[in-house]
This record gives sequence, C-alpha cells and structure tokens, in this order.
Amino acid sequence: MGAPTALMTDGLGVSFGAFKAVDTFSMVVEEGELRVVLGPNGAGKTTLMDLISGKTQSTSGRVVLFGQDVTNWPEHRIARAGIGRKFQIPSIFRELTVRQNLEVAASEEVGVWRNLRLGLRRREAAKIDDIVELAGLEDVEQRRAGDLSHGQMQWLELGMLIAQDAKVILLDEPTAGMTQAETRKTSEIVNRLKGEHTMLVVEHDMSFVRAIAEKITVMHMGKLLAQGTIEQIENNQAVRDAYLGSGGIH
Amino acid sequence: MTETLFIGLSLGSILLLIALGLTITYGAMGVINMAHGELVMIGAYTTVLASLHLGLNMFFALPLAFVVTAAVGLAIERVVVRRLYGRIIDTLLATWGVAIVLQQLVRLDLGLTFFGIDIPGLGPGLQNVSIPRVLAGSGSVFGIPIQPYRTFILGVTILLTALTWFLLYRTSLGSQVRAIMRNPQMAAACGIDVRRISAITFAYGSGLAGVAGVLLAGFRTVQPAMGATVVVDGFFVVVVGGVGSLLGTVLSAGLLGQINGIVAVLTNDILARAVVFGVVILLILWKPRGLFAFKGR
Amino acid sequence: MTSLNRHTVAEWIAYGLFIVFVLALPLFWDDPFGLNRWARYLVYGMLGAAIALSWGYAGILNLGQGLFFGLGAYMTAMSLKLASWTSLQQGSDTPVPDFMLWNAQPGAPTDLCCIVPGSWVWIPFQEQWFGVAMSVVAPVVVAGLLSWALFRLRVSGVYVAIVTLALVLLVRLLVIDAQPITNGFNGLTDLGYLTILGHEIDPFENDSYYLIAVSLVVVLLAMRWLVATRAGLVLQSTRDDANRARYLGYDVTAYQVFFFTVSAGVAGFAGMLFVVVSDFASPSFMEIGFSIGMVVWAAVGGRGSLLGACIGAIAISVLETSASESEIFQEAWRLIVGLAFVIVVLFLPRGLAGLARDAVDRLPLGRAGAAPAGVAGKPAE
Repeated sequence: MGAPTALMTDGLGVSFGAFKAVDTFSMVVEEGELRVVLGPNGAGKTTLMDLISGKTQSTSGRVVLFGQDVTNWPEHRIARAGIGRKFQIPSIFRELTVRQNLEVAASEEVGVWRNLRLGLRRREAAKIDDIVELAGLEDVEQRRAGDLSHGQMQWLELGMLIAQDAKVILLDEPTAGMTQAETRKTSEIVNRLKGEHTMLVVEHDMSFVRAIAEKITVMHMGKLLAQGTIEQIENNQAVRDAYLGSGGIH
Repeated sequence: MTETLFIGLSLGSILLLIALGLTITYGAMGVINMAHGELVMIGAYTTVLASLHLGLNMFFALPLAFVVTAAVGLAIERVVVRRLYGRIIDTLLATWGVAIVLQQLVRLDLGLTFFGIDIPGLGPGLQNVSIPRVLAGSGSVFGIPIQPYRTFILGVTILLTALTWFLLYRTSLGSQVRAIMRNPQMAAACGIDVRRISAITFAYGSGLAGVAGVLLAGFRTVQPAMGATVVVDGFFVVVVGGVGSLLGTVLSAGLLGQINGIVAVLTNDILARAVVFGVVILLILWKPRGLFAFKGR
Repeated sequence: MTSLNRHTVAEWIAYGLFIVFVLALPLFWDDPFGLNRWARYLVYGMLGAAIALSWGYAGILNLGQGLFFGLGAYMTAMSLKLASWTSLQQGSDTPVPDFMLWNAQPGAPTDLCCIVPGSWVWIPFQEQWFGVAMSVVAPVVVAGLLSWALFRLRVSGVYVAIVTLALVLLVRLLVIDAQPITNGFNGLTDLGYLTILGHEIDPFENDSYYLIAVSLVVVLLAMRWLVATRAGLVLQSTRDDANRARYLGYDVTAYQVFFFTVSAGVAGFAGMLFVVVSDFASPSFMEIGFSIGMVVWAAVGGRGSLLGACIGAIAISVLETSASESEIFQEAWRLIVGLAFVIVVLFLPRGLAGLARDAVDRLPLGRAGAAPAGVAGKPAE
C-alpha cells in the first residue's frame, strides 16, 4: 500500500441490448503495478479494455486516471491523459518504417499546427534509439513495418507504447500467436517495464502470467470474481467453478 | 396527388431496376462496378441492334440483352474483377477504366471504324427505339391516367425483384451467395466454390443491367455516354438502402423515387435531382451503413 | 545515417529536372498557343498532385475534387466576367454581365444589385482581389465543413468517395439551376483579363504561362514540405491505422480535415489559374468524368508520389491532345486510356512513380541505400 492510485474503475458497466458485457466492475490499480486480468472466454476482458481506452462508451460507472475522471472521453484524449493500448492483433503503421512508427509514437506534440515542422527533437530521437534497442529492432529499423515477423510487430507495438510515455499500458494478449522463444522475450520486455509503467495485462498463457504477474484480477460474466496473488487465485473455489466449463486454468 | 405518387413510383421502379444488379454485384461481392452503367447502355444498344438487324421488338430484346450483358459481365469478372476481390476502391477504379473501354467500343463500332466499316445502330450518334404498339399511348384506370409503358416497367421490375429474392433466399445457389457475402474465407472452407459462384453472381447482376437498358431505351435516347449518370443513381440507391440488403434497396429506390417525383412536381427536374443527392449525402452521414444494413462485423 | 539514401537523392534530382523543364519551356518554344495549352496541362498537374496528397498520403479518395476546382474557377471567372468589356458597356454605373440582361424581367433595373434575383451576391466580385481570394477561401470553407462532418462521424473508404461524388453532382445541378446568376449550362465566357499590380495577364502571352509554372512549382514544393513534416508523417500513420494513431493521442479527425482541406484549397487555386489561361468556367468542371479523371492521372502517375501524380496528369493530357488531331484517333486514344488505367490498377498499383523507384533500386551504384518504405508502396483499401 501507499503507492498512489493510477487507474480506478468504479461501478463500470456497459450493456449491448439486454447483454451486460461488463457489469458494475470496480478495481483499483496502483502506480507501478502490473495487474493481470484473467477470465474465461466472453468474461468481458477485452470489453473492459475498450471501456478504459474509450473505444466503447460505458453506460454506467466511471474510469479515473490519476484522479482525473476520463469516462467516455474520445480515444485520443484518453491516450493523451496517459493510457496506451496494445491490441491482440498487432496494430502498427504497416507502410511506414519501423523507425517512423516510433517517431509517430514518440512525438511530444499531438496537434496538427505544432507538427508542421521537419525533424525530431534531440530528446525524442534519443528516446527512440533506446527503444529500438530495448525491443531488439536494431536490424530492421529502416524496414517497412508490414514486412516484419509477427513477433517483431508485437515488440514494435510495445515499443510504440513506451515511446508514447503511456503511464498506464493496457496489453491485450501480448503473446497470442507467439512461439515460446518469442513469448520469453516478450516477458523480458514486460518485466523491464515493470515499475516504470503501470500495466494491465489480459492473458491466457499461464506460463507467461506466472513469469510476469504480481496481482491477478479474475473476471467472470462481466463481473469481478476474485482478486489476489497467483496462489490465492489458483486455490480460489469460485474461480475454479467459473473455469470448469472451459477446462480450468491452464 | 395520386398522379404525383405514380410519377414517383415510376421513377423509383427505374432506380430499382438499375440498382438491382448493383445490389447483387456490390452488396454480395463488394465490387463497385462503375461499368454497370455501360452494361445498361449495352442492353439499350442490344434493343437497337435487335430491331434494326433482326427485326425483333422489345419483348424479344429483353432476354437477348440479359444474355449479352451477362456474357460481357462474365468477361469483366474473369479478366478484371477476379483479381481485385477485397480491394473495393481498386474495383471502382479498374471498372471505371472498363467503362471507358466499353463506351469507346460502341463509339468505334467495336473497332471496325478503323477498317472503314460502320455498323448501323452503333457509333457515336444518337439512337431511338420505338416501343411496341401495345405499350404506347396512354389510358386511364378509375379516372387515373396510366401510361402503359411505365406500368410495364413497374411490372418487369417487380417480377425481377421477386425472381432475385427467390434466387437469393430460396435456392441453394442463393444460400451459397449469401454465405460468400458474409464471409468468403469461411464459405470457401465449407466447400463452396467461391470463384465459380462469384462469376455466376456477377454475370447475373450484369444481366439485370442489360434488362434495365432495354427498358430505358424505350424512353431515353440511346447513346454511348448514357450509362454514366445511371450508375451513380444506382449506387446511391444501394448505399442508402444498405449494402447487401435487397429489401433496403427496394425501399430506398422507392424513397428516392418519391422524393424525386414530389420535388420535380413542385419545382423542376434539375432541383429534384439535386435534392435527391442532398438526401443521399445526409442519409449516408446519418447512417453510413445504410438504412437496412445487416448487422455484420 | 541513412537519411541521404539513393531514393532521396533521386527524388530531388527528379524535382530539379521537372522544375527546370517547366520554367525553361518558353525559352526554347516560341508558340503562344502551344504554351497556353501547356499552361493548362500544368494546372492539371497541380490537380493530380492534390489528389495524391489526399488519396496517397491520407488514404482519402475524393471523387468530388471537381467541386473545389469548379468553385475556384467560378469565383475568379465571375470577377473577370465583371471586368469584361461587354459587362462594362451595359449602360449602368456597375458592370452587368450580358447573360443577366438576357435573363432579367422586363423593367428590372440594370444594376448588379437587383437585375435578377440574387445577383447582388456578385457585388464584391467587382474587386478582382476578392474573386481571386474567394477562389481559395470558398473551397477551403466548403471542404473544411464537409470533411469535418465526414471524419468526425468516421465515415471512411468508399463512403467518402460516394459522399464527395454526390456533393459535386449536387452543386453542379445547383449551378445549372441558378441560370440567371451563373449562366447555367453555358458557364461563364467572354471574360476580362486578370490584372496583377496594374499588369494585365493575357492568356496567350508568356507571363500567363510563367504565372502558372511558378505557381505549380511553389505549390508542389509546399505540398512536398507538408508531407515531409511530422504532421505529414502522422497523416500517413492515420492512413495505415487510424485507431492506432488515436490511441497514440492524435486527433485523427483534425489531421484528416486539415489535409483534405489543403487538397481542396489547391484544387480551388488550380481552378482560378485555369480560368486565367482558358478564359471560361463551366459546369462541366463538376461532371463526374473530370473528377474521376483526376484520380486516373494520380493513379497512373503514382498516388504515393506528388511529383509522379503531377507528371502523370501532364503526360496523359499531352498525349490526349496529340491524339486528338483527328476525331477517330481521339476516340481510340480514350480507349487506350481506359485500357491503360485497368492495367495500372491491376498490375502497377504504385503507378509510374513506383516503376521509377524500382529502377532507382536497380541502378548499379556502389552504395546500397536502405530502402525506406515511405509512401510509395501503399496498395488501395
């Protein structure tokens, strides 16, 4: 305890017709924490991320970021307020080079008029150099991003979130479709970010979760089911019941 | 008032006739076929040539034009469109090129002009088609003046719409087409021959354009550039109705036809078309997926 | 550093050669009619580049660019119409265009204020600077409002194309319908000269050519600068993945509106220049064929390259005119353009500029420049 609250959802909910995808969901994530969100398919994990990042408009409750109510703001304003998001399917600028991707992410200015200038600030360029190294993209820096391997695209996207200086990073299944070696490298990157950035990770791969997780929140049918350390969650009866239908946590 | 409504109905039926083929090619296959208007034009020229060279009247031209334009459509699909599935803007551009080619082929008597040969009925000039005597003139039913030709168009439109509906929703071919509409990869995975079905669908949509051309020839001057305005109207109808929705296309054709008819009676034809365009813009801004879009992904 | 790779060098050489050619043309070609025709091609070149800006760099296919060109043309044309000799000779203190006289009700006062209903809107156009300024202002305002509505509602792809197409057709009909104040179908002809600093620009003198050539060079370089700025890079990123750009904090709508509007402003400016050399404005500027024709220019030249699209427009227009010596060749030429366009879309999505780029890659130079992706390789949606 003691660390300030980075992200808080308070009674957050959204319904599509009669279906409540996320239902009065409350959660507090402290600054510098790495929180994993678990849940069976359809539990509302991705929808939760959509609500936090502004992709979907909530119908009830609040999202508070460092004390600032950002509920239902447009995406770009939420992003500016400090939330970065990584999608399940790598979302990068395919026609730009790897470096250009990072340049777009690293820009300190977001307005059109203020960006009517050539070149980068020295600070931005230095930041990009660091990130290229962290994400292991030195060899492909000038390559078209659409030509990267699946793993490299994922790391590039992670790198863009770091370049963006997102205070809270939302990761939606960062290891989906990765080989074991790639997964290992991804957990290394994530572990290096621990502490500097607050992170909220949706993940199915339990070995990856064990490699990175501190505290776990379990969702079920849009609601918060349980919260605690890995051991606590693995021994929680309600969690086991919820997972019975889908074969348990594995 | 009833008269105005009938004008609108008549305009709407022509719009629907043109849009019917497009709702198949665009709605089902995601192809913006800018050459659709030229297929209509070819249908109209088929009427001209059939009466000039074969002495056949419009009733015979209807099936003939269907076959001719379906064949042309099949060729377009095989040569151009097939390579562009999934690249919707590129289909628009490439078929625009096809449209120019088709127009020029008619202007140049299929290229025979270069050899000094002129085919009567083709070429850059204007052509007129006389409508069968049964459909000429005007009559009245219950005191309401009725033009037989307009009624004939309405009848054919209803018939073709019903046929299209039947093909789409009551035959196995139709269910395959609808499967491709929703998800081509999945359809292919389920053993549907996507390429063959797409070609057939495109040919059918093109054939409908030919039929529309025959009927248009009855009241418009036939000339090589006649397709250009036609295709735009057709697209507006399909987009407003909602891509892939036959019912949407029908209702949107009716709606735009009525607006056109009412405004034309109140002001003039030019303003009426302008108002229709304005309504189209507002409707697209309001409901970009169309009034009756099926809930896709 | 790879910033000075061979593509950058090749691009600047291409720009240099083009600029020199365009500016030096009158020095070795003394043909007023030929130069007048070339001036028109250069205007088309500007239009092609403007399309490349919105289509290639922003991924926004505008099928109604003729609207902005037409607006620009009409604003200046009306100003020049009021300055024409016939308009000044109608026996009134204010100039009155001849066609308004023909459309006037019997007994209507021969004055611009009220000769026909609505004619007063042209009163400020008696000042040429006003007409010329409106040639850019009007398209910019219309484009700004339109694109704001479109992009705020996140209309994209084909729907943008259809809305812009519907709008240009709509405005064309309104212009035709407003016959008493626009001369309808016939458009504006018999115009006066544009006067810059007391100097009259004659369409068939070299100074009109230079006016257009210099304008093209300035506009082309300005647009090239624009896409090289950080804003230009962000714009390209919105084309690739608008949502990603949003989640990085960019207001995508603002970028799209800005560049769409710049493109429209350039088209309006081009419309103004076109009137200066061609001496007329007509609703045909707002026909579908012209707007799609611009897209053809850009596609053939290369939508991902401003210079490529510009050269594509000029090249197609030059060939078109040389083929139009006889009517049959003109028709055959259109056939070839249609075929060529199909082939370009099918097999050369990057256009001629893409070919040039590949050729530069194959040049046997010692220094192997890394090939940045840039904008050239963008296939359409």
